Amino acid sequence: MKKILIIAKKEFLDMFRDRRTMIRMILIPLLIFPLIMNVVTRIQSSVSEKQAAEKLTVGFIQSQESIPAIKRMSQEPNFEFTSYTDTTQLRKDVVAKKINLGLIFSPTYLTDYTSGKTAQYSVIFRGADFEEYERLQKLLQREDSLIVDSRMQELGKSYSFLAPTKANEINVSSIKEILAKYAGGMLPYIFMAFLFMGCMLPAIDLFAGEKERGTIETLLTSPVNRAQILIGKLIVVTSIGLMSATIALIGLFISLNMLQADSEMMTAINSILSPTLIATLYILLIPLAFFFAGVMIPISVYSRSFKEAQSILTPLNIIMVLPAMAGFFPGVELDYFTAFIPIVNVVLATKAIMAGNADFVLIAITFISLIVLATISIWIAFRQFGKESTILR
Amino acid sequence: MIKASNLFKEFKLSKKQKQENGTSEEVYRAVNDVSFECKPGRIFSLLGPNGAGKTTTLRMLSTMVVPTRGTIEICGIDIAKNPNEARKKIGFLTGSTGLYERLTPDEVLKYFADLHDVSKEEFEKRKEHYYSLMNMHDFRSKKIGQLSTGMKQKVSIARTMIHNPDVVVFDEPTSGLDVITSENIITLIRNCKEEKKTVIFSSHIMTEVDLLCDDLVIINKGKVVFEGSMEQFRTGMKSETLTGEFIRIINESN
Repeated sequence: MKKILIIAKKEFLDMFRDRRTMIRMILIPLLIFPLIMNVVTRIQSSVSEKQAAEKLTVGFIQSQESIPAIKRMSQEPNFEFTSYTDTTQLRKDVVAKKINLGLIFSPTYLTDYTSGKTAQYSVIFRGADFEEYERLQKLLQREDSLIVDSRMQELGKSYSFLAPTKANEINVSSIKEILAKYAGGMLPYIFMAFLFMGCMLPAIDLFAGEKERGTIETLLTSPVNRAQILIGKLIVVTSIGLMSATIALIGLFISLNMLQADSEMMTAINSILSPTLIATLYILLIPLAFFFAGVMIPISVYSRSFKEAQSILTPLNIIMVLPAMAGFFPGVELDYFTAFIPIVNVVLATKAIMAGNADFVLIAITFISLIVLATISIWIAFRQFGKESTILR
Repeated sequence: MIKASNLFKEFKLSKKQKQENGTSEEVYRAVNDVSFECKPGRIFSLLGPNGAGKTTTLRMLSTMVVPTRGTIEICGIDIAKNPNEARKKIGFLTGSTGLYERLTPDEVLKYFADLHDVSKEEFEKRKEHYYSLMNMHDFRSKKIGQLSTGMKQKVSIARTMIHNPDVVVFDEPTSGLDVITSENIITLIRNCKEEKKTVIFSSHIMTEVDLLCDDLVIINKGKVVFEGSMEQFRTGMKSETLTGEFIRIINESN
């Protein structure tokens, strides 16, 4: 045990002195979510502020009858209505972005309006700038409501005549449950992606890197068993992976607090990220980290150089990401089949715990299956590390 | 003391390797029935052309690879039965030995001293000895990545000797090094002899062998083709130069 700790201590020191490790394992996981959240929030608010302040020019071809509607809509701030006589020209100007939108009222607009028929108009818009149409749509819907109101008055009916039934919705799901169902896959996904990336760099550096630097020979001639060397290094690989995932979680928590969501939502988020969930997540992620390390180490041991190991391991990222996305699909649940599929089981188990409907037996199956897989992968890693043809390749 | 008896090392050939070598043999025999004895206070040289099996033999002696057959005793310890005890007696250095670039010489020495169960007092004493001997005090706390090749080689030497090994194995120790850096190694080998350590080194530089060696074994294609003292080698020479004689022996054995 003493020798294992000596190796682990030295490897930690070595890894923490590596600028790549510090950036990839600590800085990026910590800053990525606050940064993304900050940038997205800023862009969103600046875009919507800009849009609201931007003047929309609407060209229209009017019939005499449509004048009241135009007059009313012209009162709206940041809207300018320009009269056209030629439909083709109106269309051309919208295409050329000389104006934002075009409105063509039918000649019988007011007649239809007053006689209870459907008063028709056409809207020319650019689908690429759909938000402009959405702004005009609000004005047009208001016009529509005015027509309905006047018609109802003429008929002497109340508005409820048009709404014969009304459902009073009683949602018994808590925000926590809804969040767990629709966003629940996100948390384990993030955790696992950073766990994987966190394990990858030390797994490469501590094995392929050691071979490439020519330090492995010195280590192999020291009075320490290969199993001790492997375990010492394995501890470092999994610890850095878990550390990276934890830092990402802290980053995510910071960014959620930056969101300034409503208090009910924040309470739900805080209750989801409960100590029980975090503890369970770690219980599942520790064997998963060993499993990841057990998969990466044989590849790294086999590789002649850091670059070779990196080129083999990077595509594995995709293989890991695909099952981790299982949590994003609402219908996929933890059951006696999915509990045996590594990665998928962790995502679904976390999701179930978040939603508060976790089955203890299924969680136990998930945990045991991960332990079995981790043991097998570490055994393979040990076999590979013990092979002369591989280690001195 | 090193005693190697009837050493064999075979490597299994892959299909691709068989095709490349044009052979139907399942294995490649890198070392073929090699026996020798290295005595304390004497410098033993293992000579041979590239691919002769020198590195494989030294790797077997330093417990990195396991012999297919045969036995090795290091200071009376059978390395197959007790490899860790044998490793405590061995210092291993090659010309291409790497160091941990992000650590300082102090940290590297401490790491290997800890792995060899060197006590704190003994470690401090030996560290200071080598720092003074090789003028290492100025760069003891600098990261190894920032050191020159010569400085790195000094760290490698101190690392090899920090646990005071009885047996020191040098695999082409001066290969790729300049004259000044090589001189550090030559001095180290001489010091080891004075300290009555068992020294074995592989080389194909005959001037280096002539300068240092007491006993030698020449191997070619994994087999011993000459064994004796340096004196016996010189007396029995049929060529004018040492290099010429070495080439003659190799050619004769081909």
